[in-house]
Amino acid sequence: MVNNGKVEARLFFVDTEFQKKARRPGGAPRDVALTRAQAGIDEIQVDFEAWLDLELGELIELIQKPKSAAGRDTVWLEMVEIRCRHLRDVGTTMGFPLLTFVADNLREIFERLAAGAVYRGHLIDCHVQALKLAMQEQYRNCRPEQLPELSDGLRHVAQFATVVKAEQEQG
Amino acid sequence: MTHPTGISSRTNRSINLRDLLFLIADPNAYLCTIVHSILRGFGATKVTEARECTHALQALSDQKIDILICDALLPPYGGLKLTQAVRRNTKTENRTVPILVMAGDSRATTIENARDAGANMVIAKPISPAQLYDRLLWIAFNPRQFVDTPNYFGPDRRFKIEGYPNGVGRRKGDTAVEIGEATGPSLSQSDIDHLLNSARAG
Repeated sequence: MVNNGKVEARLFFVDTEFQKKARRPGGAPRDVALTRAQAGIDEIQVDFEAWLDLELGELIELIQKPKSAAGRDTVWLEMVEIRCRHLRDVGTTMGFPLLTFVADNLREIFERLAAGAVYRGHLIDCHVQALKLAMQEQYRNCRPEQLPELSDGLRHVAQFATVVKAEQEQG
Repeated sequence: MTHPTGISSRTNRSINLRDLLFLIADPNAYLCTIVHSILRGFGATKVTEARECTHALQALSDQKIDILICDALLPPYGGLKLTQAVRRNTKTENRTVPILVMAGDSRATTIENARDAGANMVIAKPISPAQLYDRLLWIAFNPRQFVDTPNYFGPDRRFKIEGYPNGVGRRKGDTAVEIGEATGPSLSQSDIDHLLNSARAG
């Protein structure tokens, strides 16, 4: 409907199947549902750790491949960034919060490389070491704030990827 | 305009997910496995998965999906484009399906873009069972009116969260329950909800 040149919005309610059915009685109370969900996560923990070993191994292999043309190879950059996202997206849920933090930090470095920052292998290498650390039993449950030396150091290193680009632009 | 059912959002409630068909769309197979496990824990009995937009659209055209949980970066077009495509398709019965977007990049622009694409809610990755449960509960008990204009079709973007159904929320009187964790420099889940909560003109 047009009113003074303005199109009026049509507003209506939809009670979707999801809403209708989800409101049915018989659902488990929240605390019970959360306990069951956590049990479901625990059930796949062993399988997850096997997947994690594989995924991390593939990421490390990818990272080590293109030392020379790295940072300008868009396909390579996309592949390593996707691997980092995969690790980041599941780490905390599966009880590896440090892994999520390190993977996200590394992903940011690759994002900056894609935006033009200069490739510096040691920035990436120290993140690979941190990823390996985050897999170890004594560190896997640690949150980044519990290891400030490590997390602050990695944040600093990630920022350096941008500094390198700025220096290059000034030159 | 109040919802015809007069649903109250402030009482203790649970959700019954039996026989509801969930579509999880994410390129990361393991993330799908995790979300699947969590949903089973909540009582869901029917879950299907898609790894990319075309597969998700195919699933949406082949069957009645009750709720779509999709990644913001679902290849090749992204989950927000998928959301728009679902909302704009006048020929599908899934046009009004609740859509929950999972975003690893939870910057303000991503959240606003998800809202403008027609998403019901955004959940930050990595997700926690509590985060997911509260958002499903919210969608179930707080239906929003739909808006149909030439430029937008989707849930009304001018809505207010009056507290999550079990009292988890941003308001002073809400119970202080942790509903999520911030991931890196991105917004926290509560900030995401706040953005979605913001009144928006037009």
